[in-house]
Amino acid sequence: MKFLEKTNINFMKFKSFGFGLSSVLATGSIIMLLIGVNLGIDFKGGTAIGINFSDDVSIQEVRNALKSVSIDERTLDLSSEEIKYFGSQSDVMIKIKSLDNEPENFGQLVINHLYKSMSDKVPTNKNDFILSLGSVSPKVGSELSGKALWSVISALVLILFYISVRFEFRFALGAILALVHDVIITLGVFSLTGFEITLSTVAAFLTIVGYSLNDTIVILDRIRENMKSSGTVMFESTINKSINQSLSRTLITSLTTLFVIIVLLVYGGEVIRPFSFTMLVGVIVGTYSSIYIASALLASIYQSSK
Amino acid sequence: MNSSIRNRLLTILFIFGLGTYALLPTIRYAMMDEKSVSNLSSDQKDYFESRSIKQGLDLKGGIYIVLEVDLPQLIDNLAKNKDKNFDNFLDELKVEYNNSSIDFFTVFENIADDSNLKLPRYFINYGKTKDQIITELSLQSEDSIKRVIEIIQNRVDQFGVAEPTIQKQGNNRVIVELAGIEDPERARDLLQSTALLELMIVKNVESTNSIIRQIDSIISSYNQNENVEEDEINELFQSDVNSEFSLSSLLISVGGNLAISSENLDTLKDILLQENVKQILEATNSTLLTSDSSLMLINEIGEEEEFYTLYHLFDNAELTGGVIEDAQMRLSQAGVTAGQAVVEVEMNSEGSREWARITGANINNRIAIVLDKKVHMAPVIRGQIFGGGTVIEGLDSIEEAEDIAIVLRAGALPVPVTIAEERTVGASLGADSISKGTLSMAIGLLLVVIFIVMFYKMSGLIASFSVLWTLILLLGVLALLEATLTLPGIAGLILTVGMSVDANVIIFERIKEELRNGKSVRAAIDSGYERAIRTIVDANLTTGIAAAVLYQYGSGPIKGFATVLFWGIIVSMFTAIIVTRFVFDFVTTTKNIEKLSI
Repeated sequence: MKFLEKTNINFMKFKSFGFGLSSVLATGSIIMLLIGVNLGIDFKGGTAIGINFSDDVSIQEVRNALKSVSIDERTLDLSSEEIKYFGSQSDVMIKIKSLDNEPENFGQLVINHLYKSMSDKVPTNKNDFILSLGSVSPKVGSELSGKALWSVISALVLILFYISVRFEFRFALGAILALVHDVIITLGVFSLTGFEITLSTVAAFLTIVGYSLNDTIVILDRIRENMKSSGTVMFESTINKSINQSLSRTLITSLTTLFVIIVLLVYGGEVIRPFSFTMLVGVIVGTYSSIYIASALLASIYQSSK
Repeated sequence: MNSSIRNRLLTILFIFGLGTYALLPTIRYAMMDEKSVSNLSSDQKDYFESRSIKQGLDLKGGIYIVLEVDLPQLIDNLAKNKDKNFDNFLDELKVEYNNSSIDFFTVFENIADDSNLKLPRYFINYGKTKDQIITELSLQSEDSIKRVIEIIQNRVDQFGVAEPTIQKQGNNRVIVELAGIEDPERARDLLQSTALLELMIVKNVESTNSIIRQIDSIISSYNQNENVEEDEINELFQSDVNSEFSLSSLLISVGGNLAISSENLDTLKDILLQENVKQILEATNSTLLTSDSSLMLINEIGEEEEFYTLYHLFDNAELTGGVIEDAQMRLSQAGVTAGQAVVEVEMNSEGSREWARITGANINNRIAIVLDKKVHMAPVIRGQIFGGGTVIEGLDSIEEAEDIAIVLRAGALPVPVTIAEERTVGASLGADSISKGTLSMAIGLLLVVIFIVMFYKMSGLIASFSVLWTLILLLGVLALLEATLTLPGIAGLILTVGMSVDANVIIFERIKEELRNGKSVRAAIDSGYERAIRTIVDANLTTGIAAAVLYQYGSGPIKGFATVLFWGIIVSMFTAIIVTRFVFDFVTTTKNIEKLSI
C-alpha cells in the first residue's frame, strides 16, 4: 500500500475555516453542556440498578411495576425515573435520583420489590436477578465530582509544564488549547447523544488528553525540527511541511486506534460502552485538533508576535 | 555475530523469559478446570492466587462498599442533658454535613458557633472549653472508627470470604471489598448491622396500660391546645386527622401482647418523638420497642394485614452483648424447635453471674432479647439460669442464625454505619465482561496485525511481533505487581496495543523518509530510530503524566486502568525501541539487504 507519500496539502490555507468550525463546535458544545449533561450517579448521587429478567420485558412494564413501591412504611412512585434497556431486551438499567431521607439499602429494596411484583419474569435464584447495583450518596457524589475536576485540571497543568520545558511555552499553549477544545467538544457530543458521564468516562477523558497530546507532540516535534533549518521565516509553510511529513503517521495511527475502539464499541459489552464511545469521539476530534488547533494556533501566535 | 548484538539478544531473551515466567501461573491457573482447582492443596492454591493476575470486582463479581461512620449519631450518643436546642443543632448539623464536603468537626464548630450552643453543657465529660471538647470528641470519633474497622474485619473473617480488602478512607469511612460474593444482600446486612444485643426485662401489663393511657392523654391535649405549633400537629396526625385519635386506638391485643399495624409504625415513631412522651417514658424508666419480625393477621374488614408486636421494657439493659464470649449456630435437637436453627450464646464469668442474678430475681417475668433496638423474642423466665448459657430461637433460616452468631461473636459496632457508596456486580455480568473484553482484544489485535502487515509488509510483521510481546510482557508485569485487572484495565490493554503500534509507525515512517532521501538501508535504520526515539519518548511521557494523575485520583477500576496504561507505555517503548531495533540490526548485519521491505 502506497499512499500519503510525499503529500503536499496546504493545511494552513484552511486555517480560518478550521478556527471557525472549532469555534462553532465548541460554542455549540458549551450550550449543550449548559442545557444538560447526563451526569451519572457517581457525580450526582443516586442509585443505579441493573437487573436481568428471564424473559423480554417492555420498559413500560417495569415502569408500571415501579409506580408504587412500598419501603419502610413509605410508598414511593419511582415510575418517572430513568429506565432503559441494558444490552438486551431482558436486561434493564434503572437510575434513581437520590431521595431525601433515603431508606437504608434502598437499591436492594427496589430490587426486592421488582423481584416480587414481576415474579413471572424473573430467574428462580434472586441473586441471578441482580446484574449490578451502584449507590452513591450525594456527599460522596460531590466529592467525586471535585476529585474528577481536579484530576483533569492537574493533568492539564502538568502537561503544560512538561511541554513548556521540552519545547517552549508557545508550543504548550497551542497544545493545551487543543486539549481543552477536545474535551469540550467530546463533552458536547456526550450531551447531545445522552450518554452518561461516569467515573470511567472521566478515565476515558484523561486518556483522550493523553492521546490527543501524543498526536500533537508528534507534529510539534516535526515543526521544531524543521524550524531549525528554516527559522521562523515562512512559518506557515514550515508548519504545512511538518504536517504533511507526519500525515501518514497521524492517519495510520488514528486508523489503527479507531479499529480497536470500534471493535471495543461493538463487542466490548454494555459496561464499557460509554468508555469506548468517549474514546471514539475523542480520537477523531483529537486528530483534527492536532492539525487545526495546535499547529494553526502556533502559526497565529508566531505571526502576531512578529 | 558481534558482541553488541549478542549482548542485546541475551538481554532481550532474559526479559522475555522473565515476562513469560511471571505470566505462567496465571495461564496455568486459568487453564485448570474446576475439578483440578478443588484438588489443589491450600499451599498450591495460595501460590496460584498470589502469582496470578487478580480480577477486579467488576470482572469477578462482588461488592465494593464504602461504609461511613454516622458521626452525628456518635455526637448524639455522647451528649448528655440533651434539650430542644441540642436537637435543633443536631438536625442542622446532619443536613449541613451531608450536603457539603467539609470536614465534620469544622461543620460542627461552625454550627455550634452560629447557634450559640453552649457545648460544655452537653459534653462536660469531655472538657470545659469549646476547643477541648472538640479535640476530645474528634479523638472519640477516631477511636470509634478504629473499633468499627476491627469489628468489621472480625465479621468478614468469620464470614469466610477469599481475600477481603478492608481499609480506612479519610477520617470516617471504611472501604470493604468482597469478591465473588453470591448474596450481596446478606453480606451487606452482615457488615451494616450494629449488632447491639441487649437483654431487657419486659414491664408488666398494668404499667404498660398506664403508660399508654398517659400517652393518650398527652395526644388529646395536643388536640385541644391551640397554642401548639401548627406543623407539630400536622406531623403528628399526618393522614388520619380525627379527634378520637390516640395511641390505644392504633393497638390491638394478640395473645397477651400488644401489636401495631405496619401502616401505623410511622405514626408511632412520631408519637414517641414528642417531647412530653419522651419525658413520661424517661420518668418511668421505660421504653417502647417493636418486634423485628411481623405477623399477618386478619383485620376487622377481613383483609390480611401485617402487624408488629409492641413491647414495653425497662429502659436499662440488664446485660449487653459485651459479655458474650461465644455464639454458635446449632440445629436444635429436641422440643418444639427440633431441627430449627438456633444460636447458642455463652457468656463470660461476669456475665454468667449477672445472668444468674437477673434470671433468679425475675422468675415468671419475661425477658426481651433486643437486637439493634428491635425485640427479637421475649420468653418467660422459668427458673434461674446458671453458667451463662442462653439460646436464641425463632430464626428464619440457617443463614440468619449463622449471621447472628457471627455478629454476636465479633461484637457490636460502637456507632451505626451508613453506606456512602456501593458497587455490586453480579457474577454473570462480570463473566460477560470478561468474555466480551477478551473477544474484543482478540479481534482488535487481529485487525491491527492485518493492517500493519498490509502497510509495512515484512517490517509490519516485525511490528506485529513486537506488539504481541508488548501484551505478554505487560501481563507479566501485572502478575509481578500483583495488580488487579479491571474492565477499564482491559480497555487499557487494548489501548496499549494502539500505542505500541503507534511507536512502530513513527519509526517506520521515519525510516521510509530517510530511504526516500537516498540513504542506504543501514543508515536509514540508524537515523530513523535516532530521530523517532525523541518523538516517541515525548509523546509517551505526556500520556504517562495523564496515567499517573489518574492513578492518584482514581479508585478501584480506574486505578486498574491507570496501572495498565502506565506500564503499557513503558513496555511498549521497550518493545518498539529496543526489540524491533534489535531485529532490524540483526537482519541487516547478518544478511546484506539492499531493499527494505517496509
